[in-house]
Amino acid sequence: MFELDLRSRAPIYEQLVDKIKELIINNVLKPDEQLPTVRVLASELTINPNTIQKAYRELEYRGYVYSVPGKGNFVRATVPDNNAARLQTLEREVLKNVSEMLYLGMSPHDITTLIQRSLSEDKGGKVHD
Amino acid sequence: MIEAARVSKQFHEIEALHDVSLSVHKGSIYGLVGSNGAGKTTLLKLLAGIYQPDSGQLMIDSESVFENNAIKARTAFIPDNLYFFPNYTIQDMANFYGLIYPKWNKERYLKLQDVFNIDVKRRVKTLSKGMQRQYALWMGLAMMPDVMILDEPIDGLDPVMRHKVKNLIIQDVADRDMTAIISSHNLRDLEDICDYIGILHQGKMLIQKDLDDLKADVHKIQVAFAGEIPPTLLQDIQALHQEQRGSVLILIVRGAHNEIIRRMQSYHPAILDILPLTLEEIFIHEMGDNGYEIKNVLY
Repeated sequence: MFELDLRSRAPIYEQLVDKIKELIINNVLKPDEQLPTVRVLASELTINPNTIQKAYRELEYRGYVYSVPGKGNFVRATVPDNNAARLQTLEREVLKNVSEMLYLGMSPHDITTLIQRSLSEDKGGKVHD
Repeated sequence: MIEAARVSKQFHEIEALHDVSLSVHKGSIYGLVGSNGAGKTTLLKLLAGIYQPDSGQLMIDSESVFENNAIKARTAFIPDNLYFFPNYTIQDMANFYGLIYPKWNKERYLKLQDVFNIDVKRRVKTLSKGMQRQYALWMGLAMMPDVMILDEPIDGLDPVMRHKVKNLIIQDVADRDMTAIISSHNLRDLEDICDYIGILHQGKMLIQKDLDDLKADVHKIQVAFAGEIPPTLLQDIQALHQEQRGSVLILIVRGAHNEIIRRMQSYHPAILDILPLTLEEIFIHEMGDNGYEIKNVLY
């Protein structure tokens, strides 16, 4: 289903959370679709099952996934609203990128246009119909 | 559940283990790492019920392990020095284990032959060192153990075989809720499969922690300033380790990720990067704290 970068410094469970989140946000994993079972994913990726369990719990806590006892984990349809920490990180990344763009000679006007274009093209993953 | 409570073991004047405790939950994979001569093998042999502790207790599922046949029947121990009967072939050894281990699974044994791909008519003695390790794991997995105690099982295997072995262990943990304790110097491999890590040094347990907590707890920071490094920064941050390379300062800092970012941002650095540490780096820094440092030797 996906690959993890085992050479990366990021903890495996964090990588798992990010990967699955990405798949959900980009609508590759559809609402109410079942995630692979812990057992299957563990032997597919050669990763400790407890690590996968932990990633699933984290995704549930953050509101991306819901679990049905005895059945497994499923993609939640609605977007979670408690994102303060993640938004802060993203904000920092945007600022970092903007300052690099300025340094490399992109004009403030071009940057504004770029952001406006991306805003008008992307509906923020909210329209799934 | 595997438990060691305040275990000490002495061999003549040498104290191999001093007051070591550990507990491993069912279905967990515990990675035991440590410097050479730290007591890893002694601890594993105690857990396998081969040695008797001088003091303290060793239990598997609340039963003492020493000379306990019922526990040993569902424990597979693979030592670093393998033993097999002279002139026995793999098939002979399999027949022997089949008689001794009540849960021996012949089907599994035959199925695993495809994985390991070693001729069962070969005498174990004539196998190469790496193949003998594979043979030992093969037998161990066919015993369908509830607990596997593995002393450096993947060290000395080729990369393909290492992956296969890790995968087989993971499958047994996922399918049958097997518990495993693995010692290794190959920290990269342990990092993938273990969820709990214990670091042993000179007979004492330095730390044991959930691997992710261990990694979330220590960070490597690369920071650079447009001007001078603010003098209060180093006092404020309390780095475990610091190093200056040109204008870049490298710090190893304990603490939560967000808190560190917040504190560092207040000094307005020009560049700030926070990296999680690898298990190898954690190992090296913890050892450094305990006087076991890397010193570059120059002649």
